[in-house]
Amino acid sequence: LRRCLISMDMRRMEESFRGIKNAIQAKDTFQNVTILSTSETLHSIKPLDVCCVTKNLLAFYVDRVFKDHQELSPQILRKTSSIANSFLYMQKTLQRCQEQRLCHCRQEAINATRIIHDTYDQLEVRSAAIKSLGELDILLAWIEKNHQGTSAA
Amino acid sequence: DGVAALPAPQNLSVQSTNMKHVLTWSPVVVPEEIIHYSVEYQGEYESLYMSHIWIPSSWCSPTQGPECDITDDITATVPYSLRVRATLDSLTSAWSTLKHPFNRNSTVLTPPGMEITKDGFHLIIKLEDLGPQFEFFVAYWKREPGAKEHVKMVRRGGIPVHLETMEPGAAHCVKVRTFVKAIRRHSAFSQTECVKVQGETLPL
Repeated sequence: LRRCLISMDMRRMEESFRGIKNAIQAKDTFQNVTILSTSETLHSIKPLDVCCVTKNLLAFYVDRVFKDHQELSPQILRKTSSIANSFLYMQKTLQRCQEQRLCHCRQEAINATRIIHDTYDQLEVRSAAIKSLGELDILLAWIEKNHQGTSAA
Repeated sequence: DGVAALPAPQNLSVQSTNMKHVLTWSPVVVPEEIIHYSVEYQGEYESLYMSHIWIPSSWCSPTQGPECDITDDITATVPYSLRVRATLDSLTSAWSTLKHPFNRNSTVLTPPGMEITKDGFHLIIKLEDLGPQFEFFVAYWKREPGAKEHVKMVRRGGIPVHLETMEPGAAHCVKVRTFVKAIRRHSAFSQTECVKVQGETLPL
């Protein structure tokens, strides 16, 4: 079964994240709470569900996190903009997969991302956005691990 | 208050070659005065979700212009809007915005420079270093009827790479093109260069 793999400029995104990691994580006031890691299930996602979870997580960041963050510092804004626009590009690539019906969403995949949304909703919105940005390395590592190999898109 | 408004910069355009992007504009001229410019950009994300947000360019806010290297600002393969304004002391012009958003997938990819050398019977190639976004597709073959063409992907320029061990007296030829994964495009092939173990580089 052909899988839906997206190629991406991972080096650039990791570089951008390293540029903001300390500043963002320093503003994270809820150190004992985690958003992406609560879903231990993220690491138990089956290959069949990778496309759907990727699509949902990109949408989570594009539709919610980056918007809720409301950054003023140009240095940080440049880095988050770089990642946000890269996610937008990846969403477009995934869109083509969906059109080829390679991105089916099973219940397990839907549950995994609902946990993330639920945890996000329990925090004050700016704090939740800062925490999610600070956990981008978890997401980037998961995407890189699950999207290696020849891109079908 | 009779203060003449500062005219906005005109004729904004982007020249992009091998993933280096430069925004240029016509200078605003005020006799015996130095004009400064500020450049700002908006990726597709900002224009879709945060249209009030414009981000100061990394290197040109301010600059004496009239050009700006925006390579470090254009970091995703999506359309980017760009704008420029002029300032003179407390006077500031209106913003001028690039007519059509710029997408780095429109960059001009030129065939890369290459240096073919022999180390004894070994055929060595050294490719132009175009930066981390560039990979190189090297094709090489022995010049004889029906010869098989070999291919090697080289991940980085600027370092010598061994292609093959040559046969004495036979001419060996090489051509190369670049590939940029971020925009999924490749350049045209370079000129073919041939060498013979005991001779100089042969003209085609």
